[in-house]
Amino acid sequence: MNVLILGANGELGPHVVRALEHRHQLRLTDINDLETQHEYFRADAADLDQVVAAAEGMDVIINLSVLRKDRRLAFDVNARGCYNMMTAAVEHGIRRVVNTGPFYVVAGPTYERFDHMIGPDVPHQPGTYLYALTKSLGQEICRVFTESHDIHVMDLLFYMLLDPETHNVESGSPIANVGHDLVPYTISWRDAAEAIRCALYVEMDKLPSRSEVFFVFPDLPHQKFSSEKARRLLGWEPKDQLDQFWKKAKL
Amino acid sequence: MKVLVTLASSHLSLEIASSLSGSHEVRLTDKNEVSTDLEIVCSDLGHGAPTNELVRGMNAIVHSGEIDPAASVSDQLDYQMRCTYNLLWSAAEEGVQRFIYLSSLRLMDGYDPDLAVTERWKPLPTTDVSVLCYHLGEMICREFARENKISVVILRLGDIASEKVAKTAISTSTLYMDDAALAIEKALGADHSGWLDIYHIQSVVPNARYLTGQPWWSADDVSPSFNLGYEPRARS
Ligand SMILES: NC(=O)c1ccc[n+]([C@@H]2O[C@H](COP(=O)([O-])OP(=O)(O)OC[C@H]3O[C@@H](n4cnc5c(N)ncnc54)[C@H](O)[C@@H]3O)[C@@H](O)[C@H]2O)c1
Repeated sequence: MNVLILGANGELGPHVVRALEHRHQLRLTDINDLETQHEYFRADAADLDQVVAAAEGMDVIINLSVLRKDRRLAFDVNARGCYNMMTAAVEHGIRRVVNTGPFYVVAGPTYERFDHMIGPDVPHQPGTYLYALTKSLGQEICRVFTESHDIHVMDLLFYMLLDPETHNVESGSPIANVGHDLVPYTISWRDAAEAIRCALYVEMDKLPSRSEVFFVFPDLPHQKFSSEKARRLLGWEPKDQLDQFWKKAKL
Repeated sequence: MKVLVTLASSHLSLEIASSLSGSHEVRLTDKNEVSTDLEIVCSDLGHGAPTNELVRGMNAIVHSGEIDPAASVSDQLDYQMRCTYNLLWSAAEEGVQRFIYLSSLRLMDGYDPDLAVTERWKPLPTTDVSVLCYHLGEMICREFARENKISVVILRLGDIASEKVAKTAISTSTLYMDDAALAIEKALGADHSGWLDIYHIQSVVPNARYLTGQPWWSADDVSPSFNLGYEPRARS
């Protein structure tokens, strides 16, 4: 398949490239320059014409672009970027789109503080946090497009990503709370990339609708969120179980 | 009351502002200069102190979800999402009590006209940017209301028409300007849930498509019933 990746130069990008490069033709794009052996060009996700041009000849779009802090750029990339991506998909007859984002696209503080076994199909409550709300608007824009166009969007949501090999108290990560707790929705980079790879093979007509949201993480003991749907519909199985991270620190 | 009305360049906003100015202190705003006898402050509704200054001291804001037809699609989306977000943040920070978002009944057009569609029904936005923008604007308002940052009233307005339009040319969801002004006046004064209150607003026309003026009713005994008290003028 010809696969366009938007925002390929971030943290998750290289893991996704590694998971796909042997079987697919990749076209990588980002707002920054990137050294790669794959086809690459600079494209601003917030620029409609650039995104439409980048999508020409593609079978799939994977959107990894994100901007978290600046108000203008967050709306540009996370919300309008999705409008541009879906317009590009319509323009070029691309039927499969894999969008990504954080869990609070669906489950902001009004869920996370209160509930357990939160699944990805509950009505969205992103809250007013800029990153969450702009990504949620982006997801909704994608959904609205799928109502009137034959395009399937799979929205894969993550919470915290880590590398089990290097993740330890010394890593300096704010989530390296080893032996005390693990964020109730953590996944390794390679398993996140693997879920995106799985989304490329899902039989779209077997999905319940043209717009499906997935929480993606391995079995964690907290029972705060549920990732059952990702396993059931994406056929995804995590390789990294992460259980070493929620055992109490030895005194 | 001190009321800020956005999008002064739109006919609807100007008419609303002029009607409200009879009983309220009205300030208009727009990104460009607009000729009006009312107070007008130019603002791009950006992220920062000028937007806070714009809303400071206001009791209510009437924010229009209309798009500027002359703007590009990117600018239309940007204004309706980012600027609405900025305005809500500033309003919440400055303690503005009420935010009235002017949305559209076009969000409900996807339902069969024979159905008794009310505010409880799911909006059915389309990719037409003029409709999508209302939906996205509502989403942003909803999250501010959910977090109790500000009390939000969403008025989904019918197709705005002037009295002069021939009766045969009006749609079944027509809203005449005097009724629109009445609804906004009611939204400024009525008791609200303090969360999010949504009301469908249209005029009395033959085969009126949407029900209006119904109280928001819940079967529990903890949510009081809310009613805007909007009664469109009877027309012959
Ligand atoms: N890293 C995490 O812990 C985490 C957690 C939850 C969800 N996610 C989601 O995973 C996806 C990838 O995240 P990441 O960690 O790789 O993020 P990142 O910030 O490392 O990378 C994002 C990439 O987007 C690019 N970008 C920014 N503005 C752009 C623009 N205007 N046009 C094109 N590209 C632009 C950046 O240059 C960067 O390369 C995102 O959707 C993010 O929301 C990540």
